[in-house]
Amino acid sequence: MILIRFCFVVLSISVIFFQGNSQTAATKPSLKVSGQVAKLLTLTAEDLSKMKHVTAILKDRGGKNVNYSGVPLQDILGLAGVSTGGQLRGENLSKYLLVKCADGYEVLFSLAEVDSSFTDRVIILADSTEGSPLPSDRGPFRLIVPGEKKPARSSYQVLEFVIRFAADK
Amino acid sequence: MTKLFLTILLMGIFLISINALLGSKVSPLYEIKYPAYFGDRIFIPADNTTTEAGVKLGRMLFYETALSAGNTISCGTCHKQELAFTDGKKMSTGIDGSLQSRNTMSLANLLWVSNFFWDGRAAGLEEQAKTPLTSPHEMGQSLAISVAKLKKIENYPLLFKEAFASDSISEQMIVKALAQFERTLVSADSRYDQYLRGEYKPTKSELNGISLFYTSPDPLKNIRGADCAHCHGGPKTYTELFQNNGLDSLPSDRGRELVTGLDIDRGRFRVAGLRNIAATAPYMHDGRFETLEEVVDHYNEHVVSNILTSPFLRDRSNTLNGKSLDLPKDEKKDILAFLNMLTDSAFISDRNFSNPFSK
Ligand code: HEC
Ligand code: HEC
Repeated sequence: MILIRFCFVVLSISVIFFQGNSQTAATKPSLKVSGQVAKLLTLTAEDLSKMKHVTAILKDRGGKNVNYSGVPLQDILGLAGVSTGGQLRGENLSKYLLVKCADGYEVLFSLAEVDSSFTDRVIILADSTEGSPLPSDRGPFRLIVPGEKKPARSSYQVLEFVIRFAADK
Repeated sequence: MTKLFLTILLMGIFLISINALLGSKVSPLYEIKYPAYFGDRIFIPADNTTTEAGVKLGRMLFYETALSAGNTISCGTCHKQELAFTDGKKMSTGIDGSLQSRNTMSLANLLWVSNFFWDGRAAGLEEQAKTPLTSPHEMGQSLAISVAKLKKIENYPLLFKEAFASDSISEQMIVKALAQFERTLVSADSRYDQYLRGEYKPTKSELNGISLFYTSPDPLKNIRGADCAHCHGGPKTYTELFQNNGLDSLPSDRGRELVTGLDIDRGRFRVAGLRNIAATAPYMHDGRFETLEEVVDHYNEHVVSNILTSPFLRDRSNTLNGKSLDLPKDEKKDILAFLNMLTDSAFISDRNFSNPFSK
């Protein structure tokens, strides 16, 4: 019984500790990569601005092409040690990426769907558009998913990428 | 560090499941029934499965005035069943006579909610319950005093024993039982549900209301809509999102920002579920609108359009290059007809949810 108590105490302390961490990290929007990763990542706008940028195009509501510049999603996942390329086989093919946004919006991708060994489509986490930072109602980071009929997965105000196994209960 | 944490976490989960197993032996599990179209994205913590005895106890505690300082109010004072667990007031009055800072929320279909309150600050019903119980402006009594009082009231020691297989009463058990009861508050028998089940034929106005509610307007293609479902989406009329729906240009209540510290969250509040909405006036986090007509007028004509307002409420219009929804009177009436379909009189009069102390 004492052991049980002890475990609960330690458990709650660690929970508080971990929550405390995420609280301070949240004050300025930053990007977290968590879940099935080799390394938990938190990238600030500045960290991201130093990474290699590419351009992706998305149509706006009026059907006009708009340029976005940002970091390829795969580079960010690679930095966190998420399985990519040759490692994406066997059970790793049942892993998914959950994108979480500030307003609670969530969209999902299978890891294979976003990997360059499976597809030529390059999804980016954009931090600027047509030469200026993203407006704050959509930024500071927006996912740009080219080539989809609906823009619903090109989500605004992205805060976190979570990698998990799809495990049916 | 992570390894140690994981080990402890696993041990914790293991112990919790053992507890749960022991618990379920004592009282049969309570089956919460809901339609398949609500989906299974429900939230029940592993250490608080819903049992018959737990729900029975939780219902009594929900209406128990001994949980307040001075024994005068209970959860049921502000959350009245006949008003879908609201009280019709702009701001409810607490034990110390002071007004709450936000409008009392309806309690229905909480099983699908994971972050409670208008700003989502409480993760889980168990944690949520501690606020009204102990806040000096609500029921104003520490959990320790509540435990001591309940121990002395006839029946409670036995009811707690049946619910938690324990000879004593703890603070945690009080909030767990309350949470179990609240999870059973499922509202799924409105005229809209009867329509979804194929048992009710909506009027023309109701049908058009449903269509407007779910459709995004596109004047170029002559598609009419109000796009309410973008936020209040699906048959539950609820998605767990935090949005700024354009009430004020300078929000006096920072809402979600108070929880996250992010200025992009200023004036964002949790999207409200619209079940039983005709019974839960006044509306919005500050109860500013007295009628649903005013709410629909807000969305149709008065949305404040600035950088804080959800992009999904800006520049959506039924007229080309229009700046507001621009729905005429009869279409506004159709939306109201749909909102009125969401009243569930079976829920509001369900004997399983009523005050067990009043005959
Ligand atoms: C004095 C009035 C009052 C009393 C008493 C009261 N509440 Fe509330 N309740 C409120 C108000 C006001 C809110 C919204 C507060 C906010 O968002 O900050 C609320 C919100 C809630 C919510 C959140 C619902 C959601 O969808 O997020 C739950 C659950 C709840 N109350 C349960 C309870 C329980 C259980 C009790 C008794 C232990 C209780 N309340 C007692 C006024 C009251
Ligand atoms: C961009 C998201 C969004 C859209 C679109 C939207 N709402 Fe809302 N709605 C909200 C939010 C957020 C709240 C809570 C706001 C608050 O209290 O400050 C809310 C609150 C309400 C309420 C009051 C609920 C209560 O319990 O007080 C009603 C009624 C309502 N909306 C109806 C509608 C209707 C009808 C439409 C379509 C014309 C609509 N909404 C479109 C986000 C939205």
